[in-house]
Amino acid sequence: MWCLCCLINKEPQNSEESKLNSWTRGLLSHILSGFRFDTKEVGLFTQGLGYVPADYCPGLLKNMVLSLVSELRENHLNGFNTQRRMVPEKIRFLSRVCIPLVTLPDIEPLVEALLTCHGHEPQEVLWPEFFDAVNEAFLLKKISLPTSAVVCLWLRHLPSLEKATLHLFEKLISSERNFLRRIECFLKDSLLPEAACHPAIFRIVDEMFRYALLETDGAPEVLVAVQGFTRCFVEALEKKNKQLKFTFKTYFPYASPSLVTVLLQRPEDIPQELWHQPLKHISEMLREIVEDQTHGSYGGPFECWFLFIHFGGWADIAAEQLVMSEAEPSEALLWLLAFSCSPHDGSPQRAQTMVEVKAVLSRLKKLLRSPILSAKDLQAAAAESQDRDPRPPLCQQLIRRLLLNFLLWAPGGHVNAREVIALMAPSDEIAHDMTGFLDQTLYRWDHLRMEAPRSRKLARELLAELRMVGTAMQGPGSPRPRDVMRRPFLRGMSAENEP
Amino acid sequence: MESLLQHLERFSELLAVSRTTHVSTWDPTTVRRALQWARYLRHVHRRFGRHVRIRTALERRLRSQWRQKGASGSAAVPGLNFQALGRCDLLLSLRLLENRALGDAACHYLLQQLFPGPGVPDADEETLQGSLARLARRRSAVHMLLFNGYGENSVLEESVLKTQAELLLERLGEVPKAEAEGRSRFLSTLWDRLPQKNFLKVIAAALLLPPSSPRPQGEELELDTPKTPGEGGQELVHWLLARSDVMAAFCHDLPVGLLASVAGRHPEFSRAYLGLLTDWGRHLHYDLQKGTWVGAEPQHVSWEELYGRFQSLCQAPPPLKDEVLTALESCKAQDGDFQVPGLSIWTDLFLALGSGS
Repeated sequence: MWCLCCLINKEPQNSEESKLNSWTRGLLSHILSGFRFDTKEVGLFTQGLGYVPADYCPGLLKNMVLSLVSELRENHLNGFNTQRRMVPEKIRFLSRVCIPLVTLPDIEPLVEALLTCHGHEPQEVLWPEFFDAVNEAFLLKKISLPTSAVVCLWLRHLPSLEKATLHLFEKLISSERNFLRRIECFLKDSLLPEAACHPAIFRIVDEMFRYALLETDGAPEVLVAVQGFTRCFVEALEKKNKQLKFTFKTYFPYASPSLVTVLLQRPEDIPQELWHQPLKHISEMLREIVEDQTHGSYGGPFECWFLFIHFGGWADIAAEQLVMSEAEPSEALLWLLAFSCSPHDGSPQRAQTMVEVKAVLSRLKKLLRSPILSAKDLQAAAAESQDRDPRPPLCQQLIRRLLLNFLLWAPGGHVNAREVIALMAPSDEIAHDMTGFLDQTLYRWDHLRMEAPRSRKLARELLAELRMVGTAMQGPGSPRPRDVMRRPFLRGMSAENEP
Repeated sequence: MESLLQHLERFSELLAVSRTTHVSTWDPTTVRRALQWARYLRHVHRRFGRHVRIRTALERRLRSQWRQKGASGSAAVPGLNFQALGRCDLLLSLRLLENRALGDAACHYLLQQLFPGPGVPDADEETLQGSLARLARRRSAVHMLLFNGYGENSVLEESVLKTQAELLLERLGEVPKAEAEGRSRFLSTLWDRLPQKNFLKVIAAALLLPPSSPRPQGEELELDTPKTPGEGGQELVHWLLARSDVMAAFCHDLPVGLLASVAGRHPEFSRAYLGLLTDWGRHLHYDLQKGTWVGAEPQHVSWEELYGRFQSLCQAPPPLKDEVLTALESCKAQDGDFQVPGLSIWTDLFLALGSGS
């Protein structure tokens, strides 16, 4: 309308300009208040009562929406005492008409009714562009719909679900990966975890995560997104416990049910001393499946790994347990850690990794007694032995994380955070990785309600230091650090196991 | 307070003038002042909406203005009620926009004020431009939805009737109760002035409005006057029953099922309706040759129609249904309580209904 106004000339020079002016004015006033009912009587009635269209337009719209909604809901009982049901063609036409109106708040009840009305036809009765329009409006937050309506939308129109998931991915991956709380907010906002309580939706979203993981060679951002999604999903599932009852097999059809059950356990429900039990269990089950040459019905290494990283918290707990306990590190936990960090390793490489980690751990245990720790000590503990092949980067990452864990838990005196960071994080990518790890750790401690004031303080100090270093290193306009922690072998792993 | 009331009066005049050719003498300054007044009154509305005393005083003054104009017979001057003050700037703007007599310069200024364009910050949370945009969107939505109903349109026709009914009740509610006969007079005036067929339908819709119907037109939640649709409905029924001509037209012209619904909701009406039906029934006599009941004169209701009406009444839920059957029985008894067809119309009706129900 503003554009139309610009057309109007302040001082028309000739009769043509006057005509244009008057035409534009007419158009404007028509847009605002032209009203034409089929019969003149209605207009006369309203005028006779002293009302103009601007007075009754909102009320009329509301009434129209109400009667269309009740007609859609098949319980339309008007004064004529008849029951009316909308025929499919009419519903289709109505959905088409609503496409440009989708963002108008008064129309929301109608949109909701259209989405949730289940016709008796086997084919989809609504116009496809309608779904697109509603989905767009929902993703841009121009319409607010109840979750049930959004779930109906996604169940009925696959492209909308895919677009919504991609939209979420964009948000999760482009945002600063270090803020797990924000990731959780995005996830809950998107309604996808809640919608995923419906197995069909879960499977599709999971599939998209799987592809994302493969395409990005296991990028850490995607890993974190998967974990966050699973966490929110499990939360939503528990809330809905009474209503939806699907077995776990419907959500994870390629996984062994007992494995899924153990993975779904919540660590916060188990006393800390007993954590080693489920961990051992998980490790054994995974190992059995992975090392089984015949590639049974539970998919190969990739599927196992993909399932496992959904519940990535367990790997972190395993690392902590290894570092904190005084006992000899258990084979099961070592294997678990090695597997989670590089699933594509063959048995010999994995064995090698396990040996290395064991060596580092034993050196760290000696340091456990010392009252003061210095960064040099840590470096010495982590040093590679000269006579072997250099460690692959993923193994390095694992060792680094173990060191950090140790640092956070060791009772030894105060450590200079700056020194540690300077020594341990020489490069951008590594700093980035460590920041992510620390953020995840703090987040996990909150969830598990672990009281660890000293450790927390240290973790926060390290985090702050890393962030400062990060901003110093990153000049304006420099690209985000590319992670070297990729797993390009993943693709090879999964191809043979394509279901 | 007095200055506020004067202001109100002057604004009503202004509103009236904005429709006339007088605006051709207006220049941009006049338009600006007019818009300022409107904005001030809208502010008043927002501030005093919940302040009962001020609001009542304002309403009273508005009503007296309207009645004066109406009484003098000047062409359709719409009344401003308190609620309309909430959008008086919108109303003024629309009128000026539609008025061709408004000069180019003034019009240009007006449009600049109405549509300053994107990104212009406004201290007021609800800008005039926003309201106009919203109005335009709603209007197009209404048109698109109306267009939607191809073939049978009665669902949407019903919402149009319902809206008219709400408007009617709103106006009715504004007529002060204290005045004797005020509301009946108001309704009678409407009956004389407005298209009658539509009016009857609107009355029926008003009588069927759900009792807890929310405020019809106001977008804001206001502590509105305590008059509920239920009360308005009562007034309507009283007036309807008092005017036998309207009642006759009502019962003749409207669909049978609709009348049954109305009777179900309003017991006074159902009694009057039954009375009317019995009246009609008495005009029929039995024609031995044709073997059916016929009316003496052509305008009398036919047997089929009478039967149809009774049948639809009996399909209503219990209180009404029982009432109807009792009435029929008593008529039948009065006539002599025959069991054989052909002697009393009430017996025949009773028998016909009995086999059906």
